[in-house]
Amino acid sequence: MSIVIDVLQAAMLILGAPLVRGIIARLKAHLQRRRGASIWRPYVELFKLLRKEDLVPPTSSAVFRLAPLALFAATICMSAFVPVVHASALLGSRGDFFLLVYLLALGRFFLSLGALDGGSAFGGMGASREALVSSLAEAPLLLGLVALAILASRTDISGIVTWTLAQNIFNISAVHILAFASLAMVTLAETGRMPVDNPTTHLELTMIHEGMVLEYSGPSLGLIEWASAIKLQAMLALLVSLFAPWGMASNSTLGALVLALLFYCVKLGVLLVLLSVIESAVAKLRMYLVPDYLGVASAVSALAVIFTTLVKR
Amino acid sequence: MQLGAIETGFVFLLAVLGLIAPLVLIASLAERARGFAIALILSASIAGCLVAVFSFLKEPALLLELRWVTPFSFSLTVDRLSAFFLLLVCSVAIPVTVFGVPYFNFHYSEARRNWTWAFFSLFLLSMIVVVTASTGFAFLMGWELMTLTSTALIVVEGDSEDRRHNVLIYLLMMHAGAAAVATAFFLFLPHSDSLDFSALRLAGATIPGGLRAAIFVTAFLGFGAKAGLIPLHLWLPRAHPIAPSPVSAMMSGIMLKTAVYGFVRFAFDFLAGGPWWSGYAVLVVAAATGLLGILYGISEHDLKRLLAYSSVENMGIIFLGLGTSLVFVANHAPLGAALALTAALLHAFNHALFKSLLFLGTGALSHSAHSVNLNELGGLQERMPLTGTAVLVGCCSIAGLPLFNGFISEWLTFRSFLAGSTLLNSKADVVLPLMVGVLALIGGLAAACFVKAYGVAFLGRPRSARAEEATEAPFGMRLGLLLLAAGCVFIGIFPGILLRPLVALVQGLVPGAGVPNETLSIARVIPWIALLIVGVSSSVALLRHKKRMARTWACGLPGLSSRMEYTSTVFSKPIRFVFARVYRPDRKIEQQPSDHPYFPASISYRSVRTTSYERALYRPVVDSIVSQALRLRRLQTGNIQVYLLYIFLALVSLLALLRFQ
Repeated sequence: MSIVIDVLQAAMLILGAPLVRGIIARLKAHLQRRRGASIWRPYVELFKLLRKEDLVPPTSSAVFRLAPLALFAATICMSAFVPVVHASALLGSRGDFFLLVYLLALGRFFLSLGALDGGSAFGGMGASREALVSSLAEAPLLLGLVALAILASRTDISGIVTWTLAQNIFNISAVHILAFASLAMVTLAETGRMPVDNPTTHLELTMIHEGMVLEYSGPSLGLIEWASAIKLQAMLALLVSLFAPWGMASNSTLGALVLALLFYCVKLGVLLVLLSVIESAVAKLRMYLVPDYLGVASAVSALAVIFTTLVKR
Repeated sequence: MQLGAIETGFVFLLAVLGLIAPLVLIASLAERARGFAIALILSASIAGCLVAVFSFLKEPALLLELRWVTPFSFSLTVDRLSAFFLLLVCSVAIPVTVFGVPYFNFHYSEARRNWTWAFFSLFLLSMIVVVTASTGFAFLMGWELMTLTSTALIVVEGDSEDRRHNVLIYLLMMHAGAAAVATAFFLFLPHSDSLDFSALRLAGATIPGGLRAAIFVTAFLGFGAKAGLIPLHLWLPRAHPIAPSPVSAMMSGIMLKTAVYGFVRFAFDFLAGGPWWSGYAVLVVAAATGLLGILYGISEHDLKRLLAYSSVENMGIIFLGLGTSLVFVANHAPLGAALALTAALLHAFNHALFKSLLFLGTGALSHSAHSVNLNELGGLQERMPLTGTAVLVGCCSIAGLPLFNGFISEWLTFRSFLAGSTLLNSKADVVLPLMVGVLALIGGLAAACFVKAYGVAFLGRPRSARAEEATEAPFGMRLGLLLLAAGCVFIGIFPGILLRPLVALVQGLVPGAGVPNETLSIARVIPWIALLIVGVSSSVALLRHKKRMARTWACGLPGLSSRMEYTSTVFSKPIRFVFARVYRPDRKIEQQPSDHPYFPASISYRSVRTTSYERALYRPVVDSIVSQALRLRRLQTGNIQVYLLYIFLALVSLLALLRFQ
């Protein structure tokens, strides 16, 4: 029974991901006083892309076609780590957060290679910038998670979530706030949102992710876009379940699960509103201010770890 | 002496590598004789692997007493630690030898080829002696032979002024390191009646604190110089790139691991953990080594230098594990110590596989595309698909990506940092969890570095005519690469096969340790993740059946040229910019003519990374040695009577000393 819920949970993260993108676009449109497209538009786009043919540069190699597959598969695998409606997940108790972070790295590695294989300047530009951002983002991401792991004395995500669920809601320590701050900052960088990357631009001075995928089209592009949507929802769901798991189903009855899903939607909705406010209100950082931004995240997460070890003592 | 099957194999291995193969090669230049010698080297390596596996299972350890052959106490033993490193040496030597056959054939004349193979065989022997020695004398013999034979192999490639300078630095630092290792041995002497390892082990338990610290520090310095720990790494990026590729593979892949072996022998086997601060000292040095190593590596565009610096980084990761283990030993937490030591040893094995794979890949590049400068390569995946795929596997492994072997050991290292604070629930330590951040930064930068290395060399368009005309490497080279790549993937997906014996080995070194849970859990979960990833990607691949060629968008221009691609230099520019303080580049811009700022005829731009170590650390030492030597030169008059006087005075003073003692 639990396995079925885990599978459905992962399927929800995967299939619901385009919807999250649509909602963000709609919210941003409202904030900017535009009418905006339907929240279902990302699905229509995805179907359109998946039905088309793949355009491949004649100078590219097999890696160009392999990269979207590797990215998509690694992202799917990563989403199987994230608990949503109840504390366990398909791989949540078997693997730990190091595995999750390195699966993201696997996808990113191949996407960067695919970008370089296009043979244009844009791919290299995107890959080079992505290399900078991601190599600096890994440390704060892991340190923030380490702080939580030390608090919970567990390294598997399900274990950490179970521990947090058992705590009193008003018993949030400073460590949680610090860790949340750093992880939220890193999530913005990892998923290519403002102020680190602008997902809606095609200007060569600013683009990172868009630069990498410029040569892709058809189903390959569809897979990449879908994967980045999954990554966004999975990271947000991870934030929700690590820092505010309250409301998750403690048993496998249908009612509890539906209630947990509702709770999740509300919590995710709050995050999405926050995200669209940030994206509408904040300007994109200059490329060389991004290391400072990530440096702040690293410092905050290091503080979180230091405080945790002090708390535990 | 009764010889069992394992002993026979071991003696065969030593005899072939030390005597038969070199003699055959020196005696005859015939093609058939060389083929025979190479076949012997190969079979000796295979025998070495078998000896390692079987003696691992055997109790008590295999002991080969050679006191009756040499005037000194010289004996070899294959206990579990030695067996592990013997396996490492021999299993990497097989693909390197297979690769070397076509490589040396194409690049060297007949006579040089024979010398190269002879030294190759002796080099292999020296490393086997080092990891199996059971007396201080045998160890130091092997250690010295290792330096000399590897130098000979570097010099075979050529001896220009520049190379001689680099070789000199290599020899100097290796001998300084050897002196430190020898000192570490001799420091045992007041408490031990011989330099037999068993005697040292006994003495290690009773040695007083101060001497213990002195032994630890000298051993760390000596083995650190061999391992290329910063700031003793100076020789590594000089010596590795100038050797022929198979030799670089041996030096980076195997020779550096002998330093790990020596350090583990001293710190864990003899001393059973150093002084309480030893772990932290090792951690600090290792963290600096890892970070600076990869930062220097990412700024290189010569593939061999990049790989050499990445070896520095990986030695940093291995010593992070060793340092963590020492911290746990000092805190009496054997389980954590076992986990960290397992991680370090596994990373040593993994690094041996993927680093020799990458160096051999570089050899294939220099064979087919006649360059190892990244900015002259490109588009080679299409032209050399098998080499390219193997190198891709190596890059994924070294970047620590899941499903490849580098990930397993990095993951274990990560978990060992947390072992104290999350699992054992003992006193939480602040330093170890913060090391997660350091290793994460190292890992992130390594991934960036190898995206660059593989992406620029093998993807996109060729950047030079030589790369354009490159063809696939010959069969032997491909076979060598393929063997190593298969090893990387296999260990990456089924790590249990190595982890189980490793844990058994580590339990012998860390008394009282159980089986760390992590080693079991990673071996269980990784095959499922591999299945999931392969299943998803192959089923999604069916979605994309239609495919059409279309030129890359060129912003409206008639077409793209390779000059519009990102080069290796510009790819790493953002990272170099952010870490400018580490590099401290020395920039020079010259304009000709200088009085026409707006219409210059030519502009030359030079940017060199300043080697601040040389300036701040080595220069003062060298200067003081030179000034002392100049002062001593006054003794050298060139007059024979004066020298006779010196001898007479020395004799008299020695006699006087003996008389009054």
